[in-house]
Amino acid sequence: MFPTIDRVKPGLQKLIAALREIYPYASVLAVADDARAWRVSRAGVNISAAGTGGGTGFVVRVFDGVGCAEYSFNEFSEEKIPGICAVIAKRLAEQNQALEGVVPLPTPIPADEPAVLKKETAWKRNPRDVGDEAIVGKITAIRERAMAVDERVLDAQAAVTYRAYRKLFLSEHRDLDQTVMWTNAMVAVMASRGQEIKMSYHPFSVLGGAELLDEMDAGVERAARDALDLLDSRPIPPGEYDCVCDPATTGMIVHEAFGHGVEMDMFVKDRALARGFMGAYVASPLVTMHDGSAVDESATMFFDDEGTLTGDTVIIDQGILKRGMCDALSAARLGVTPTGNGRRESYERRAYTRMTNTYFQGGESTPEEMIASVQDGFLLETPSSGMEDPKNWGIQCMVTTAREIKDGKLTGKLYSPIVLTGYVPDLLKSVSMMSKTPELSGSGHCGKGYKEWVKVSDGGPYMKARIRLG
Amino acid sequence: MIERIKSALARCGVAMWRVNETVEETAELFFVKKQLDTRRSKDVRKYDVTVFRDVAAPGGGKPARGFTSVRLIAFMDDAQMDEELKGAYYAAQFAANPYFDLPDSARAPMARKTGELAEAPLARSAGKMVKALFAPDVHGDAFVNSAELFVSRSVHHIVSSEGTDVSYTDARVCGEFVVQCREPEDVEIHNTFEYDQLDERALSAKVEEALTFVRDRARAQRVLKSGKYDLVLSGNAVAEVLSYYISRSSASSVYARYSTWKRGEDVQGETAGERLSLTLQATAPYSGEGIPMADLPVLESGTLNAYHGPNRFCRYLNVKPTGLYEKVSCANGTTPFETLKKGPVVWAVTFSDFQMDAMSGHFGGEIRLAYLIEDGKVTPITGGSVNGSILEAQKNLVFSTERYVTAQYEGPYAVRLKGVSIAGAGE
Repeated sequence: MFPTIDRVKPGLQKLIAALREIYPYASVLAVADDARAWRVSRAGVNISAAGTGGGTGFVVRVFDGVGCAEYSFNEFSEEKIPGICAVIAKRLAEQNQALEGVVPLPTPIPADEPAVLKKETAWKRNPRDVGDEAIVGKITAIRERAMAVDERVLDAQAAVTYRAYRKLFLSEHRDLDQTVMWTNAMVAVMASRGQEIKMSYHPFSVLGGAELLDEMDAGVERAARDALDLLDSRPIPPGEYDCVCDPATTGMIVHEAFGHGVEMDMFVKDRALARGFMGAYVASPLVTMHDGSAVDESATMFFDDEGTLTGDTVIIDQGILKRGMCDALSAARLGVTPTGNGRRESYERRAYTRMTNTYFQGGESTPEEMIASVQDGFLLETPSSGMEDPKNWGIQCMVTTAREIKDGKLTGKLYSPIVLTGYVPDLLKSVSMMSKTPELSGSGHCGKGYKEWVKVSDGGPYMKARIRLG
Repeated sequence: MIERIKSALARCGVAMWRVNETVEETAELFFVKKQLDTRRSKDVRKYDVTVFRDVAAPGGGKPARGFTSVRLIAFMDDAQMDEELKGAYYAAQFAANPYFDLPDSARAPMARKTGELAEAPLARSAGKMVKALFAPDVHGDAFVNSAELFVSRSVHHIVSSEGTDVSYTDARVCGEFVVQCREPEDVEIHNTFEYDQLDERALSAKVEEALTFVRDRARAQRVLKSGKYDLVLSGNAVAEVLSYYISRSSASSVYARYSTWKRGEDVQGETAGERLSLTLQATAPYSGEGIPMADLPVLESGTLNAYHGPNRFCRYLNVKPTGLYEKVSCANGTTPFETLKKGPVVWAVTFSDFQMDAMSGHFGGEIRLAYLIEDGKVTPITGGSVNGSILEAQKNLVFSTERYVTAQYEGPYAVRLKGVSIAGAGE
């Protein structure tokens, strides 16, 4: 796939050589992108291949006398190399002049240890080969099934998105080449009562291709029933409760409540409380947290966008905070080893420390045992959004559904929407049960603040904890 | 390049199409405290091509019309370009929707944005905004922790098979900054900004206000008990609440029956508060479909005046296509802010993330800083969460006379909502 990369590679190597004559460090990340999204809803059928992926282009990184600088562009040929070098030099001169008097943040040039790699992830069926007709036919049939469940169903949406990309990272000592394909899908069902519309959402994801389509059938009736159940939901009485989190809700807590707080570019900025807790208990001994590419999900990759090889980072080990995730620049500033978490929204954006596949390890309990152990609490399902607070470890997560549990049994009463709040270590230290098998979902994107969207997955097992709900 | 694309479209037998060319140049600066972290710049040129394809109706009559979009870039060779366009044209027959007319033809010389931001070198504009950002950072106890600044200039050119050929230039400065205060509690507040002019004064004022807020957050208490409170929202949260009305009045929501609103209908219902008047503001001369944009009054005194949205959905509803808007203005505002926040009331200043769910009408978020104002006493508070419904709140909305302007909103600085549920952090 992506022969363009092979075509431009010799020229990019010459570009690196030309830049190295001027700068002590130079690298280039080339990205070739293929993405497509199919969606059906009452609004119609939509197929788009524009704007779904990050786009095809290049980003050069150099170090000059001031520090790190980058230049993104999407037109390249060998003839353009002198022009690109000249533009970089001109822009740096202009910026340095405009910033006269501004002190640079000391940044050692990141290590450029020799590495050569060429790998691709596996897929069974390329969605492009399956074809638009078959995919639209499949999701249309799924939508019709959801619409037929009950006349109160206002609309059902079914969608499939895939992205295949090839990334080439070149520096003086590195030649890394990876091709990755992920596919996501979803079924969303809306049911209405007056002006109020309730929606349930069932996501699917795979590091792979159109084989995911076979999984979609299983979620249709459930999504429709959930939407209808929500019509009878009520606001929750605010308070602190024993809660059983479904794997998706556990994943949101892993990602939003804790994961962002151990992104080590936040350590550089003195924005993360976690920096002072290394080696300390921050969670129940039942909690072990991983990030990386040891699992196959949508954010799996072989190297990151700064040319650092990926692996498995154990962040919390049986309740003890061991280390954070780190991009190459932050690692150079902090004097630690980067973990392969330097990621860009696209070649047009800078790299930050970002999560990949982030999850809690499984425990020994079953979901049934966990529900049976709750006297007065809730089963939390279907996370809808969350926001990080690395500085203060405040939680803001929203879930769509809280199912009431009384005396160890689900009563059938539903509450919605639900806001989870509190202090992250309080929640994690209150974890008292974990189910055996973690489940990851990679259907979402993650922002840094309110922008810089990258593909991530998160998850974990069913988890019992004490949580403030409102 | 556009001529190359036109030739490729002809080779691929595509008769109906639109090309959106976007050329963008940026200067980007990143800071940790006042130290320069990273400098970036970019030059990108993108071509988004939408191809349309008619599919004959089985029983005759108007054909169905499908479309797909694909992105082309200049370093693709002709064979690659043809492959992408053929793939898109093939796919379009499976995205067949009820027939709709394409946007009317529009032709005009390039509309050029003027002013310093549009005309000065990007690096110089970036340097000026950096100085404005750090100018209020002189206090020591509260300071700018980190900042990102993006100055961009773009050219947009829209050409279609229907004869549209319009273009315009744009320039923006946007970014974010985090303010921090270490005593008595070490806290921060995250802020974003976006301006369409080189508004150094507005940025300095925003940073100054943020420094005041973060100082108050540092001494804020987790004392609020759960209950129903009169709630004052300010700044961007006001725009977020009003987004419910923009979503419900969109042609796409109405066509999909997510909204049952009809033009001429009182959509706010009975209210003891102010009746809403909202106008969508044109921030670009043309929409992405090449539709000339103009300001559009959407709600007038709580009554729906107009639907808005892209060509297809407006055509389906038999209204004039308006294009997609990015900015709303609100004409309301009857009460000075000092009166508006008379206690007992909770004035929620910043949230970790405040969101309106336009489907359900629920809004909420976790409070980073609020002021509990009662019995003449102002107590900074933190923690807890707001969980409200606009369907209830719209029965009693009162807006401030003070105004607030961003790139996406122009209107009252604050709104007071009656009896909103807040889960406190003080139990």
